[in-house]
Amino acid sequence: MKTRLKLKIMTGFFLLASLLLIAGAISISEFTKLSKSVNSLIEDNYKTINAAQAMLESLEREDSGILMLMLGQWEEGRIIIESADSSFMLALNIAEGNQTEKDEDIYVAAIKESYSKYRDKWKKPIVNTEKEGNIDWYRNNIHKAFLETKHNVTNLMNLNQESMHAEAYDLKEESRRAIMPGIVAIIAAFIFSILLNFFISKYIISPIGNLSEAIKEYNPGQANISVVKSSDELKKLESEINAFLERLIRDSRK
Amino acid sequence: MKKEIIIKHLGFIVLFNGAFLFLAWIISVFNHETSSIPLLFSALICLIFGLFPLIFVEPTENISFNEGLAIVVIGWLITCLIGMLPYIMWGGEFSIINAWFESVSGYTTTGSTILNNIETLPKGLLFWRSSTHWIGGIGIILFVLLILPQSKNSQLTIVNTEISQLAKMNFQYRSKKIVRVLAIVYISLTLLETILLTVFGMSLFDAVNHSFATIATGGFSTKNMSIAYFNSTSIEIIIIVFMLLSGMHFGLIYGTLARRKENIFRSPIVRSFIIVILIGIVLVAIKLYLSGYYSWWESVRNAAFQVVSLGSTTGFATKDTASWPYFTQMILIYFTIQCAMVGSTSGGLKFDRIYILLKSLWKQVKLVHHPRAVLSIRIGNVNINEQLERQTLLFIVVYIVTFFTTTLILTMMNVDSFTAFSASIATIGNVGPGFENVSSLGNFSSLPGAAKLVLTLNMLLGRLEIFNIIAFFILRKNN
Repeated sequence: MKTRLKLKIMTGFFLLASLLLIAGAISISEFTKLSKSVNSLIEDNYKTINAAQAMLESLEREDSGILMLMLGQWEEGRIIIESADSSFMLALNIAEGNQTEKDEDIYVAAIKESYSKYRDKWKKPIVNTEKEGNIDWYRNNIHKAFLETKHNVTNLMNLNQESMHAEAYDLKEESRRAIMPGIVAIIAAFIFSILLNFFISKYIISPIGNLSEAIKEYNPGQANISVVKSSDELKKLESEINAFLERLIRDSRK
Repeated sequence: MKKEIIIKHLGFIVLFNGAFLFLAWIISVFNHETSSIPLLFSALICLIFGLFPLIFVEPTENISFNEGLAIVVIGWLITCLIGMLPYIMWGGEFSIINAWFESVSGYTTTGSTILNNIETLPKGLLFWRSSTHWIGGIGIILFVLLILPQSKNSQLTIVNTEISQLAKMNFQYRSKKIVRVLAIVYISLTLLETILLTVFGMSLFDAVNHSFATIATGGFSTKNMSIAYFNSTSIEIIIIVFMLLSGMHFGLIYGTLARRKENIFRSPIVRSFIIVILIGIVLVAIKLYLSGYYSWWESVRNAAFQVVSLGSTTGFATKDTASWPYFTQMILIYFTIQCAMVGSTSGGLKFDRIYILLKSLWKQVKLVHHPRAVLSIRIGNVNINEQLERQTLLFIVVYIVTFFTTTLILTMMNVDSFTAFSASIATIGNVGPGFENVSSLGNFSSLPGAAKLVLTLNMLLGRLEIFNIIAFFILRKNN
């Protein structure tokens, strides 16, 4: 009985605090997930996309090197091809070690296979053979293998780009999910404080006002004061006042 | 009006919503979905707001009619706001206006949607979406059978005419009895439909969601193609039967189950309603067949489903009716205006009022020949007094004026006239789909934001029967 009024007010503030705390906790958890997602977006897809771009660039350089060999420029051609080959292999190793999407291993294996065929073709001597200046040989062998490898690298790049777009969309949704509990909690807390204010006014302030008005207008001989409807400390105060008034009247009669 | 009593009852409504949000959250967690946090947070908000008034407000006796009306009108607005919380927190296609539209459409059991791709929604949100129908359905039944009959002019309450014996009982007895009747009929129908749909091949999740939407005459489906997705005659027949039952007075369904005198077999309204539905099915089927759309059987099957779906204000679809002949579209528009019976979960004008209108017309014809005759309108054994007759006719006029006004407002926003007209009658009638751009297998996403807001107002006006909203605002002014 003694703690009821206190309990009511405390419950109100406790619920208000809980609302804000829960919203805060959810927002923090969602933002943590969000930052992890941003990292993974950069780590997972962007790294492979860069590697694929490096592979495409290397392929183009290798193709130029082969054309130089076909023109009989052995020295320059070999330098370009070997440098492009080593940068292609480096990029391929990065892509191989950064497989994060479903079936990405199949895409990488396809690149390895087609590149190996392509490599076999230009590893063999070209200068001073029948291949030198032979455009038909280039079209039927080299260019075909070049296009196949390029196609496989593009597929890998597309896979990662699509995944990056999807993840970017998810990030947008995740950021919304991180922000919304906070916004909703602020609005809810505002409405809740109006409600709390209404109840405090209705069940605490108003009865005190009514009680003080009733005491002011009290005449000896009239019935007991009965203005408090609730059954908490205020009701107890009302009955104490009634007992006190009765005592006063009794004493004054003596 | 005691505000604290209203707030306390609103608390109960909020807690009831919270319970369903928790269920949706469990489904979401079980399926590892992105909707789990939005659902959990919404449920916690309901818990906090629902519990708080219970701590302060002491237990109370009866609530007055005015308080009841305030609880219903404010309660509907609050639940619609709660309903949109998981949607806006989850995101996707849900902007604030879209979330509000989907929520109001759910609670008012309208079933119009703004979603282009329903199947991308997590299961937890799909369940919540169907739950809003179910909660709205039980809410409207409580309002119509429990609150409205408490009005000082209860003889003006059209719902009493069908269950006059029940309506005459005193409030204490009636309220307890009606809540029990409601719970039995509403839950039994939902369970029975769920079991039947599961037996005939639907997954349990889809069966529960479609049962929620059928019994509430809502129309939200878990599939983009609505019922057409299942392509099953048995599933369509089950849904047709339950749509028809949900379009009937729940007091009469109880009367039938309890073998009372007032039952669906003896009700002249039910009889006339079924006859009109059958005529509609025959006309649509003949036109579909003669126009070479489908075979005989397919014409009857599709006509039956669409006529009952719109006639009961459910709004499920098995075909895109926007591509059907204009004659069939006009018949379907008639059913969208007519709606089902009072005392059911269906919305809109209600067949009972059309029945009284026709009887009233016949009375006027008789009066032309016999000006001094004293004539009265009867529904079965119940006399319809002149006041109720006048009020019914006035309601029909206000209803027509309202949807014409909405049509006008929508065309002002450059919505084409047929889309605007059909969207207006489909929303005020709480039916769901219209024609043209908002057809049975389409959605309302292409409409401008302001148009969506106007249509949600339409849904609420249709659900709470216009006069009750006016009465609420007059009460607010006088208090």
